[in-house]
Amino acid sequence: MANLSIIDKLKRSKILDLLQEGKRIDDRALDEPRPLVIDTGVIPHANGSARVRLGDTEIVSGIKVQPDRPFPDMGDKGIFMCTAEILPLAHPSAETGPPQPDVIELARVVDRGIRESGMIDLSQFVLEKDKSVIGLFADNVVTDHDGNLFDACSYAAVAAIITSKIPKWEMKDDKPVLIENQESDAPITTIPISVTMGRIGEFIIVDPNIDEWGCLDARITITTNSDGNIVALQKGGSDGFTLEQLVKCSELSITIGKKIREIVKQATEGGK
Amino acid sequence: MGGREANVVLLDENGIRSDGRKVNETRKVTIKAGVLKNASGSAYIEFGGNKILAGVFGPRDVHPKHMSNPDTGILRVRYHMEPFSVSERKKPAPSRREIEISKVIKEALEPAVMLEKFPRTAVDVYLEVLQADGGTRCAALDAASVALADAGIPMRDLVCACASGKAADTLILDVNNEEDQAGQADMPIGYMPNLGKITLLQLDGVLTPDEYKKCIELGLEGCKQVYEIQKKALREKYFSSGDKD
Amino acid sequence: MKKFESKKRHVLPGDFITTAPLRLQGNVVLEGKRVIATSIGLSDVSADSVRVIPLTGVYLPKIDDLVIGTIQYIFGSSWFADINSCYQGMLLGQDVFGRGSYPTTSEMKERLEKGDIIYAKIANSDRQREPLISIADQSLGKIDSGELVKISPTKIPRLIGKHGSMIQTIESSTNATITVGQNGLIVVSCDETNGLLKALAAIRMVDEQAHLVNLTDKVKKMLESDGV
Repeated sequence: MANLSIIDKLKRSKILDLLQEGKRIDDRALDEPRPLVIDTGVIPHANGSARVRLGDTEIVSGIKVQPDRPFPDMGDKGIFMCTAEILPLAHPSAETGPPQPDVIELARVVDRGIRESGMIDLSQFVLEKDKSVIGLFADNVVTDHDGNLFDACSYAAVAAIITSKIPKWEMKDDKPVLIENQESDAPITTIPISVTMGRIGEFIIVDPNIDEWGCLDARITITTNSDGNIVALQKGGSDGFTLEQLVKCSELSITIGKKIREIVKQATEGGK
Repeated sequence: MGGREANVVLLDENGIRSDGRKVNETRKVTIKAGVLKNASGSAYIEFGGNKILAGVFGPRDVHPKHMSNPDTGILRVRYHMEPFSVSERKKPAPSRREIEISKVIKEALEPAVMLEKFPRTAVDVYLEVLQADGGTRCAALDAASVALADAGIPMRDLVCACASGKAADTLILDVNNEEDQAGQADMPIGYMPNLGKITLLQLDGVLTPDEYKKCIELGLEGCKQVYEIQKKALREKYFSSGDKD
Repeated sequence: MKKFESKKRHVLPGDFITTAPLRLQGNVVLEGKRVIATSIGLSDVSADSVRVIPLTGVYLPKIDDLVIGTIQYIFGSSWFADINSCYQGMLLGQDVFGRGSYPTTSEMKERLEKGDIIYAKIANSDRQREPLISIADQSLGKIDSGELVKISPTKIPRLIGKHGSMIQTIESSTNATITVGQNGLIVVSCDETNGLLKALAAIRMVDEQAHLVNLTDKVKKMLESDGV
């Protein structure tokens, strides 16, 4: 994020000293993500919703499902779109106004991770080919920023999508008409889980909090699907990774991704 | 708006409203103070089906500098609805309605906050509607007051708010979404009880002069009930497990 | 002869305190004849004055206060520091390099740069501009090591205690050196990890429980026990 408060020097040198000893300022291991809490159905009027707390980072994701026109070259698929917004109450440096590049990147990375995994079977969202389809919008808002919005937003959107209810529409006189009380579960094919890692010096840390985020040389977000395959990647930050580091990151994303997938499954079981 | 035919029965023969309430009954209200880690002050309110988060920062620097006031701090309010908060998904950009409500809430809070000790600064109040169900501006104002107190912004009083209105030719307290759509009048009110000052007042609909006075009085009853809930929320955060009262 | 209330009461903004014609000190306002609290806190009525001791709120710089700040940037011949207030502290180059000096930006950077932590005194605070801070005194200046902690500035008087009693209790019991800023920032250094953790726990305890009567005993008990 562009204007994070200046990480004071005492904290920065402390972070580096601890890393030399294999420790982090919040007592975590280098490859340990923060505690993850997922609540679903928090916005009952929306089609689906979830609130995620990843450490002190908090995200609310709401799903809206409504009829829409298909994209011109994809008349046989429904529409899926993710947005993200860092609410001004999430952090003293958060600004109002049109989205900054870092927030746009956040939304697009979360979107790609879900889209490229094929999580939602969009072919089941067609009401009339080339004319009318169902659109599913996942709007993610950050209510408290303590670092690693990529993963927190992704988990929130995924949990909200899994537990969302899709209403039924039928075409009557060329218009989609809502059929009451005939909702169904969202057509889910896989559960994509993103894992974000950062590099400080030669150390790779998983799920950087906001203080660590301010010290990162580079970061990478890797999304895997339920089969353990890699479906999306995004490298960020002003420096780079060696090939060895990238391979290590991919391995971490698979093992940690598995554990987090279990947490997401448990949290979304009751909501279905 | 205004007494059109609706499928819902707004008031049945026993004087019970569509959601089971009596005419002078508010919906259930719960408020929690201090819910965010980064904001200086915060509050979360559930007012019927409304779910609103309030966050306060400041007093703090004003950018651009020319917007600051050399004699006193300024108050800035942003009321904003999330895309998933309403039945038809709302685009993220601020609408004219949100801009107007932001202004009206700001002017309801200004008589309460005392910013003369903080020249050249701003106090920012951010109100995020996560779920809307009629009467969001009142619920948002209720949460804003608690968040400002939580942030330690000096205030002459808390501002409480509740809407009254008219449906099925009867004056009702706390208009919900259905009643707002199909009823005859909706009057949001913001009030400072210790000073007896009404600082937010709007009207949508038609009232006779007599109804107007009674409608305000009814609304003030609702405001006072919410006031107690606001105070309870702050006491729970600051004075619980205390032994000084 | 009017009997005065020495009992402290929990108050919220807008709460009525008294109608007695007393001198108004902090966090109260007169509405007609009624003295009203303007802050969440404890009302304190004495023989000749009334105030509210706040439990939350931003730090407002006062002359001679000792504060801890973080250098944000250099502009002109001054450093500007974040002093955890709604105003930045302005440290003149002349304060460090001597009166009449005109240090260059690189000379200034060598002494103090962005991110450095300093212990400073509020030298001047008027309504027209940023408060001036100074590190000219022997005991002031750059802080090189230690753990930086932030608590609500309203809790600092409680952390220091009457004539410094609370802070001395913590320091002697843990062998830690604690530098306290009136602005809510504190630096703790200790050679032993255990002492450091205990000192941090004691500070956290004061931040969370400053409004309770038996806090001093609770802190003493925690410091004497083995764990935190």
